Formats: sequence, structure tokens, C-alpha cells
Amino acid sequence: MTVRGRRLGVWIGAAVAVGTLLLPIALNDSQLTVYVFIGLATMVVAGLSLLMGFAGQVSLGQGAFYAIGAYTAALLAKLLGVPPVLALALATAATAAVAVVVGLPLLRLRGHYLAFATLAFQLIVLSVIGEARDLTGGDIGLPGVPTLSIGPLALEGQYRTFIFAYIVWALAALALLLNRNLVRSRPGRALRALATSEPGALAAGVAVGRFKLQVFALSAAYAGLAGGVYAFFLSYIAPGSFPVLLSIQFLIMATVGGLGSISGALVGATVITLMVQLLAAVGTLPGMPLHAPAVFSYAVYGLVLVLILLLLPQGLVPAVQARLGARRAVSAVEASAGEAA
Amino acid sequence: MQLLLQYLSSGIATGCTFALVATGFVAIYRVTRVVNFAQGAFAVIGGMAAYALLGRGLPHGAAELVAVGLAATAGLLVGLVAIGRRGSPPLASLIITLGIGIGSYAVLILIFGDQPVSYDGLPGSAAIGGVTMPLQFLLVVAVTAATFALLAAFFNRTYLGRALTACSSNPHAARLVGIDTTRMGLVSFALGGALGGLAGVLLTPLQPVSFNSDVGIAINGFAAAVFGGILRPVTALVGALVLGVAEALVAGYSKASYESGVALVLMLALMVWQASRRAPVEEAAA
Amino acid sequence: MRDGTGPLLDVGDLVVRYGQATALDGVSLRVDRGEMVALVGPNGAGKTTLLNTVCGLLPVAGGDCAVRGRVAQVPEGRQLFADMTVDDNLRLGAWTVRDRDPSRIYDLFPQLATMRRRQAGTLSGGEQQMVAVGRALMARPDLLAVDELSLGLAPMIVDSLAEHLRRLNEESGMAVLLVEQNARLALELCPRAYVLETGRIVASGPSGELSRSAAVQAAYLGGAITPSPSEGEGRGGGF
Repeated sequence: MTVRGRRLGVWIGAAVAVGTLLLPIALNDSQLTVYVFIGLATMVVAGLSLLMGFAGQVSLGQGAFYAIGAYTAALLAKLLGVPPVLALALATAATAAVAVVVGLPLLRLRGHYLAFATLAFQLIVLSVIGEARDLTGGDIGLPGVPTLSIGPLALEGQYRTFIFAYIVWALAALALLLNRNLVRSRPGRALRALATSEPGALAAGVAVGRFKLQVFALSAAYAGLAGGVYAFFLSYIAPGSFPVLLSIQFLIMATVGGLGSISGALVGATVITLMVQLLAAVGTLPGMPLHAPAVFSYAVYGLVLVLILLLLPQGLVPAVQARLGARRAVSAVEASAGEAA
Repeated sequence: MQLLLQYLSSGIATGCTFALVATGFVAIYRVTRVVNFAQGAFAVIGGMAAYALLGRGLPHGAAELVAVGLAATAGLLVGLVAIGRRGSPPLASLIITLGIGIGSYAVLILIFGDQPVSYDGLPGSAAIGGVTMPLQFLLVVAVTAATFALLAAFFNRTYLGRALTACSSNPHAARLVGIDTTRMGLVSFALGGALGGLAGVLLTPLQPVSFNSDVGIAINGFAAAVFGGILRPVTALVGALVLGVAEALVAGYSKASYESGVALVLMLALMVWQASRRAPVEEAAA
Repeated sequence: MRDGTGPLLDVGDLVVRYGQATALDGVSLRVDRGEMVALVGPNGAGKTTLLNTVCGLLPVAGGDCAVRGRVAQVPEGRQLFADMTVDDNLRLGAWTVRDRDPSRIYDLFPQLATMRRRQAGTLSGGEQQMVAVGRALMARPDLLAVDELSLGLAPMIVDSLAEHLRRLNEESGMAVLLVEQNARLALELCPRAYVLETGRIVASGPSGELSRSAAVQAAYLGGAITPSPSEGEGRGGGF
């Protein structure tokens, strides 16, 4: 990266950090809710982007880990009275553990097998949640999840969403920072080798299987933590909150932002969440037919996914960085494009 | 015993439709190495188009044929977008087909609304081996058998069919010999579209379809295709029949809601088992 | 495009890249109608890259590559359609021409006639090489590009195949571009040769001259070889 490019990057990063930090003050409650969703999505997409961009694995099931984190945290807090913060930690660990168990056999599969496998995994998870009615409330859902609290300090009242916004900001920032350090570390450079050529990486002595599994577990941990926060935020979760479409939304966010790009997770999450909000608003305008919101969403999801891959396969952030003359890590999709061409 | 035979016959009928979907996956994957996530959508398009055409007064037979033609055209269009640009890596193509599949929801809802549709299949029933089954079952089996025979003849006896097999066998050599592998890929997408559409046309009288039925259909088809490594249609046929029967038995003897789980679990188990038999590196390098 | 004038294959300052790496760095060579030309060089020199570019499979990054006639390649490692029959393999070679009848190939290689229905992958190395050559011949090429004919084959079989090539060249005037690591074979068979190393032509000229050059001898030949009989006739105008 050129010196100018790097300095520019630092300035932009600082500006974004300060801007997003100050933003909640100016937002009303419903806007703050959107802010929280963007933050949660950023966490999930940070993990997915790492998984797809550097480990080259396509996952259509991040929603499953989101759901597992949400339900674990909710059930621990509600049924067992575990302190919420501890519940979050346990939920994150549990989700990662599930990922390890599931990933061991699944990660041996090639890209397209894995895509279907993760999709199947999410459908199975949703099924199980739906069936375990006594435990999870089944399809009706789990109401009455206690709110986030530290000791006697419980998050309630009119500033609840406001404070949640900052909690989510902190966690999202943490996730992005962790990603940045991971990418620059020795395991991170090994991951990059993985993305460009798995046989090459193997030859270089990189423990391919172990790295893939670690990244998979990490991405699940991000999603699980976000899911737990989601549960405490809404106080009510149901299998319907975690449809396959959610996983696809995460996929779109990761692809749009830029696979393997760290800030891409934030950009993708923001762009797509705002777009979803816009579509919902437009679709429910008076005079719009009943189907309008659904039609708009599906049409835009489809179009965005196809157009991004055809026109800007590297994603928004890397495209902009290229304009600014910055050198960027090559994502798996581009790398294989270079081989195929 | 009666009940068992009922389940068996119904399972075989639905299994045949899965087999057609699976063969669509195989046809496309063999030539292009792309897993077409829109394969289920072809079935939905076929079924819903047939429904619309029948509603407009087109007679049975003609409506279904036109519907299959429409699905084939849809296949061609998907192919153009997914692989039209030379050098698209298969993984990107996969996500593109996924995007198109989702986009198809919008189109289908606009045209048909969001409720499931169905139409009457072959009227009447027949008694075979002491079991009364709808004639539609027999139609499905007959058409599937005929289709497989036609496909075999196409791939083994015609020059175009051999060229497609060549692309699958050795894409580099195919190019050396002058075969345009991208154009062959488009042919295979059109074929996959037709097969998916045919599956949908046969399935809709048995199970109403709506805009988002494609996920379930695709999963069933893919699970069957995995049986043969997404490369061998006859093995996929066997897998599809096993799957169809298994689902029918599960739905009949235990809870209906478990039925969809069967395909999921079987597919996962199959894929993991197959993966453990192959060296991981050879998959990535292939 | 079949143009009666000018060389059959005219490569000038050709540059070909793989991503960031340059595989061919300004390569010039020429094959005239009816000639047999050898291209020798070590592994990784870019010989296969050159052939694939000539056959239109790789994009040209610089310079030009003009082909005035039909080219068919006998690829390195045979590259047959292993799970298809010998007959199918041959027929597919005729994809770009109208005549799909493989009889004349069976006349040329009588052993193959007994194996028409066998899966190509089950044949021995020498038989597979015959199928690969036959498949290329089905396209009735003006130029036959042969990549590493001798790889993995017994010398007797290689000699027999080389003799077939020589006869085809004499009888039908089909040009041959023989790419080989086995320089001895290539220089014996072809009157004119180029030497390619790491993407550049480092030597060229009549085979006899090249085989006498100390550098070539040291790098590619264990010792002196007998020059090709037609070396002194000045076919095709030399280089």
C-alpha cells in the first residue's frame, strides 16, 4: 500500500469510528434500532467475510449460528437464571463448539457441496428448534428473555436502545479489530496463501484443515455472540427470526462489502440493511399491493447478488481501494478467477 | 401391507421427479462444474407455467410441453448470466445462480401471487398389485423412464451428446479439438432447465407448488445427485427413488414434519461419507 | 483462413502472460508449408504455452501469432477423453470439419482398428499416443503441432510414431511442429529447429548446425548426433 493510501486509510478509519460513535446521539429510537441491527450484522459478516474471503468457504448457514447463539443465551438467562453477560460468553463458546463439531466433517467438502451442506445445516437447526417445543417454545417462539444486565444494573427504560447501540458498536469494533490483527498475523498470511491456492498452501506447510476449521469456528463465534445480543435486545426470538433468507442477506452483505476486506463487513452490512429498510418503507406505502415488500426484497436481493458478482466481484471496498491505489489482499473468488482465465 | 405399498408407490412417483431434477444438476455440473442453485426454480417455473397455460385453455399435453420449453429457455438465460462471461470461477457462478433463484421469487409472486397452485393430473386410478394408485403416478414413472432412455440415446449416440460428454471428460482436450466449451455449457444449462421444468410439470399435480417451493425441490434433487457424485445420472436415479420412498415412509409412519428432514440428513451423511473417501487436496485442485 | 502465400505459422515477438508472470517474452518463429520444424527446450520453457497460443487457447499480450491454415495439436500427455471409446475420440477430432469417418486413421494405425470400442483410458501409452495423433489428424490440419511425443513411451514406439509423422509429411505435405524435451529425436527428425529457454528463443537454424553447437550439445544432447538428411537442401527458405 502506498504511504499516501495508508495514511488516507487511517484518516478514513478514524473518521468512521468517531462518526459512528457520535451518531446514536442524533438518532431517534426506531433509527437506533436500525443502528443496532447494522452493528449485529457487521459482526456476523465480519466472520463470514473472513471465512469466504480468506478460507474460500461458502457458507449459506451463518443464520444457523446466529440462531444457536440467540437461543443458547436466551435459554441460559431465562431458564437457568445465568447472568446475561456470562450467558453471552457461554453462548459464544457453545456456538463455536457446534461449529467445530459440524465443521470437522463438512469442511472436507468442496465449495459447492459446502454451500448446500451449510444450507441443510440451517434447515435442520430450525427444524430442531421448532420440534423441541418444551424447551424452546417451538414455532411460537421464546418470549420473556431477560434484558441485558450487569449485576443490579439492568438495561431498561427510555435509554435502553441508546445503550444497546453503544454495546453493539463496541462489539462490532472489537470484531473488526480482531479481524485486522488476524489478517496481518502469521496465521493470517497463511490464510491468504490458502485463499489463492490450497495445494500451494499445503506444499508450503500450512495446516490447511486446521486453519479452515479455526476460521469456521471463529466466524460462528462472531455470529453466536451477535445472536445472543439480538436475543437480549428483542426479548423475544422464534425460528421465524432466523430464516434461510437471513443467511442469504449476510452472504449479500459480505459479497457487496468485499470478501476478505475488513471494513467491507461494515460497508456491506450498512448498505444492505439500509436498503432493506428503504424497500420496506417503499413497499408499504399506501396504494402498494400486498406483495410489494416481498417482491421488492427478492428482486433487489437477486439483482444485487448477480450484478455485484458480474461487475464488481471484489466488492465495494476493494474497488474503492483500488481506485485509491492501495494494494489489497486478493480474495479467494478473484484468485480463482485469475486461475480460470 | 396395503399402506406400505401405498407409501412405496407414492414414494416412487415423487422419487422420479427428484431424479429428473437431479439429472438437471448432473447435466449442468458435468459440463460446467457449476452447481446450479436455480435448479429448483426451473421446476417451479415449469409447474406454474403449466398451471397458467392450462388455465388459459391450452389442452393437456400442449400446456406441459410449452411449460417445459419455457423452463428450458429460463435455463439458457441462467446459463448466459452464470457462465456467459468466459473465466467465471465456478464458485462465483454458484452464487450467481443463487441470486437468480431468489430473483425468480419476485417474478413468480408478481405473476402468480404467493399461494401454492396445482392442477389435475391424469384423472382416474388403477389397481396394480392390489394397490389403488392415481394414474398420475404411472404417468410420472413412464415419462421419467422415457426421459432417461432419451437422454442415454442423446449422450451416447449423437455427436452433440458426445461433445457434451467430452467437455465433461476433458475440457482442455475438448477445446483443443475445437469445441466451444462455453457454448456447450449453455446447451447443458438449457437441458437442465428442461429437465427441471419437466420435473415440475409432473410434480405439481401431486404437490402444489408456490414461488418458494424451489428450496425443497432443489435439496431433494441435489441429495439424489450427490449419490452419484453429481456426475452419474443413473446412480442419481437410484438415489432419488430411495429418497422418495424414504420420505414417503417417514411421512406415513411418523410425523409428516420430519419428511423434509430425511433429505437433509441423508444428503449431509452422503456428502460427508463421500468426502472422507477422497483426499481433500485432490478436490481443491480438481 | 487458407492463404497460399506466406508462412503457415508466423510468430513475431510474441508475448504471453499468466497473470503477473510472463511465459513467453518476445518469441519469433516460423513454419512454412510442408516443413518439419522442431522446438526443443527444457521443462517450463514455455513450449506448451506457445502451442496453446498458436491453437488459439491463450490470449496474446503482445506481438503477433498468425496462422494461415488449420492447426491441430497432439497435446502433452495425450489428453484423451479417457472414458470414451477410441472411435468416439477419433470422431470428436473432426468437430471442426465435415468428414467424421475415422477409416483413414484405422488404415494408418491398423492396431487401433481392433480397439475401436475400447475405452481410451484402458489403452497402453503407445496406443494412446496413436489415438491422440489420429484424433488430431481427423481435422485434416495443415500444421500438426506435437507436444512431447516421446514422453513416457518406449524408444521403439517413439521411432515408429516418428516414422509415421515423417511419412505423413512427405506424402501429404502436412507441416509438423515438433515440441520436444528429447532434443536428439527432434533434431534427427526435423531439418530445422528452434531452442526455447524461459520464454525466449536462444538459438535457431538448421538442425545439423544446432546439433554441432557446443552449447546445445552440452545442454540437450549427450554427445554428437547424425544430422537430418534433408538438412542441406534449403527447404522452405531456411530461417
